[in-house]
Amino acid sequence: MHRAADQPEPNPLREGLSTRAVPQPCAIVIFGATGDLTHRKLIPALYNLAADGELPAGAAIVGFARRNKSDDEFRRDLEEATRKFSRQPVRDEIWKTFAQSIFYHRSEFDDESGYKSLAKRLDEIDKNYGTRGNRLFYFAAAPDQFEPILKHLKAAGLNETCEGSWARIIVEKPFGTDLASARELNRIIRNSFTEEQTYRIDHFLGKETAQNILVLRFANAIFAPLWNTHYVDHVQITAAETLGVGTRAGFYERAGALRDMVQNHLLQLLCLVAMEPPTDLAADSIRDEKVKVVRSLRRWSRNEIAANVVRGQYTAGAIHGEPVVGYRQEQNVNPDSQTETFVALRLFIDNWRWADVPVYMRVGKRLPKSETDISIHFKKAPAVLFNKDLSDLNVLVIRIQPDEGISLRIHAKVPGTSFRIEPVKMDFHYGTSFGKPSPEAYERLLLDAMSGDATLFARSDEVEEAWAFIDPIEEAWHANDAAELFFYPAGSWGPEAADDLLARDGRAWRRL
Amino acid sequence: MPAVTETYSLGVPAQISRIDQELKKLWQEGEGAMTRASLMNLAVYSEEPGSLNSNTQLMAKITENHACRAIVIEADCRAKENSVDAWISAHCHVSHVGSKQVCSEQISFLLKGGCTTLLPNIVFSHLDSDLPFYLWWQEEFREPMDPQLWAWVDRVIYDSHGWKDFRAQMRLVKSAEQEAKQRIVFCDLNWTRLDNVRFALAQFFDHPASHHHFTKFRKLRIDFAPGFRSTAVLLAGWLAAQLNWRAENAKSPQELRFIDPSGRKIDIEFRERDGEPIHEVALTTAEVEFLVTYAKCGDLLEVSRAKPGEKPMPQLMPAGKNDPVSLMSEELMRGGPHHVYLRAVNCVRDLL
Repeated sequence: MHRAADQPEPNPLREGLSTRAVPQPCAIVIFGATGDLTHRKLIPALYNLAADGELPAGAAIVGFARRNKSDDEFRRDLEEATRKFSRQPVRDEIWKTFAQSIFYHRSEFDDESGYKSLAKRLDEIDKNYGTRGNRLFYFAAAPDQFEPILKHLKAAGLNETCEGSWARIIVEKPFGTDLASARELNRIIRNSFTEEQTYRIDHFLGKETAQNILVLRFANAIFAPLWNTHYVDHVQITAAETLGVGTRAGFYERAGALRDMVQNHLLQLLCLVAMEPPTDLAADSIRDEKVKVVRSLRRWSRNEIAANVVRGQYTAGAIHGEPVVGYRQEQNVNPDSQTETFVALRLFIDNWRWADVPVYMRVGKRLPKSETDISIHFKKAPAVLFNKDLSDLNVLVIRIQPDEGISLRIHAKVPGTSFRIEPVKMDFHYGTSFGKPSPEAYERLLLDAMSGDATLFARSDEVEEAWAFIDPIEEAWHANDAAELFFYPAGSWGPEAADDLLARDGRAWRRL
Repeated sequence: MPAVTETYSLGVPAQISRIDQELKKLWQEGEGAMTRASLMNLAVYSEEPGSLNSNTQLMAKITENHACRAIVIEADCRAKENSVDAWISAHCHVSHVGSKQVCSEQISFLLKGGCTTLLPNIVFSHLDSDLPFYLWWQEEFREPMDPQLWAWVDRVIYDSHGWKDFRAQMRLVKSAEQEAKQRIVFCDLNWTRLDNVRFALAQFFDHPASHHHFTKFRKLRIDFAPGFRSTAVLLAGWLAAQLNWRAENAKSPQELRFIDPSGRKIDIEFRERDGEPIHEVALTTAEVEFLVTYAKCGDLLEVSRAKPGEKPMPQLMPAGKNDPVSLMSEELMRGGPHHVYLRAVNCVRDLL
């Protein structure tokens, strides 16, 4: 992956030591520093980078939030959380030096003076900690706070830097709630930061297997000739989880599965699977190809949406033998909620490569197991030789989580005098070939942002195109003749209507 | 999963001609069929008596992170009788995920007498097909270098730290490479030993604003443990190669001088003291000292830069370990060619 335009000349002493862009010294300012994301993901990720020697020596962390806290109190909170959530055990001596560069800055998000004092503090940190005027602003606050934060960052001059340094922002999803709000958010961001300074994080893209999709496709010549409408029968993408809505009811009630998962994570995965080979590995070359996929997704009329999209909601059932309540009985959920916890879609990518190849996607909560994967189902071999219809297609499965790996189903002759053919599965697990654990997605993505590599971050046009595809579905669902909400018991694979979606085409969901 | 779990033993004796069948049986005896995704053939060759057992233990550790077909060879060239004994075993480890296993198979050979000349023949016929062949050579190289053997090797791994005559050894390996018409990657564990120190030094200069120091260095001091002078010289060679310094005649074995492209002299001081192989490195200009030193806790490096009269703010970085398993794991993880190593060697070849 390539260097950003604002990435400096390489260091000759780095040659041969690192195959990735080198992260630059910087001050990382986290807005919403007392929240869950900071404690569970961001600080543990930064600690792991420090413990692995990946964090640049001149790195400092400034937590920006409304609560009253001293630096020491903030450090203690973060230490406790890191000990709980870190990938590797916390070592006292490493934490001690790491924590020296953590600071707390108390301010309301809409208080201009808080940003002026932040600017002063960052200048001091530059002098004392060698952060060299580089700033990485992480938006871990609620989306409705983005506008005041951005406005005040600009007013305090924190969106600009002197020559040789940079300022970047990392924005967490949701990137809006529809096309109009996404455009508005992009407009607000652009008022203060350029697109090149903006890193929209989608943690699915930080996962090892998601990145491996590009390697699988473009570093293995055997797949290239098969990866098209001539040989692919259909594609399935599944993101299943056993968990219910948990503590996210407030957000989930407004969002639902389509906005929460499909608009971002699943469409991003689809892009990686379906995109054309990029001209090079530069961030924009890859993102140019990805956005073309979303742009090529067939748009439906309202009637077609009813026929191609199924929405469901879980009712009471059992997960791993334990009884669980239905969605409407969950805490903070409207007892008459119409929010979908399951979506199944039948999509088409109307381009030369994928013409007439259906892509079936499903995402849901309270399904029997937690698993995210992509499967490529190849067309049948002609049934002229073996006097048998080979109904089990060759399937290439890319498992994203939890057991990252790849499997391929092929046909083989069963040993014996008769000519019996059965499918067999060849299975590759990352865990059994590479003993080394993969870094957490946030580690990789934070490092990329510090290095100026935006490849694994979503660009504004990708986000907007995704909403342009999702919006008509949401509109159709919420029109007067609202689409039917199908119910499914927790612990099942979703409503029957989702099975019918494939059955109509003579297909079935892959058994997981 | 195979019935044979980690025992650190040589495993089941096997006839040379039946090794493949016996390996197959070994996996079939497990609780179920499985596909092992192997990354390489990793052979280790030693003439040290008892190395078969000690290297089996090393392999068991190395395969925790690198699924491979391991081939462990002990050769006794002075034995009067000719014989070849072989064993097969499996190394299985629970992976970080907890449930899956990283499984490797090992073939062990004890070669005696004239059988050592059959080394290429024995090794080649037991390589796992289509996988690269890494040969960890624990002996000094000696003539004649068999081109038939080297033609199969993708990476040759050695530790120059113990070499008595570096130049002669490098000449042998390079000549074998040429004769075999094979592009071998040279992997020196003595170089791998420097990875973390090099990383710690390099990070001082990641920001372009610090690149001006490259033309201002006056002195380099390297503190090394007894027996690790060659490691210290390699480190100096790396800085020289990457910063375009050329060596002036050595003033003494402890002192050396380089000249940078502008003609500025850089004095190199080697200090032998007890501690880690490379215990401390100080790179200084007239204004700043860049210091990498072992932290008190042992497995971390403390890195700091300080101007005179200024209090340094040290940071901690991983130091790496000096045992063979850690060095091999680091080396196998890294992969890729070692151009920088060869350039470093060229800069200090006469001093090694």
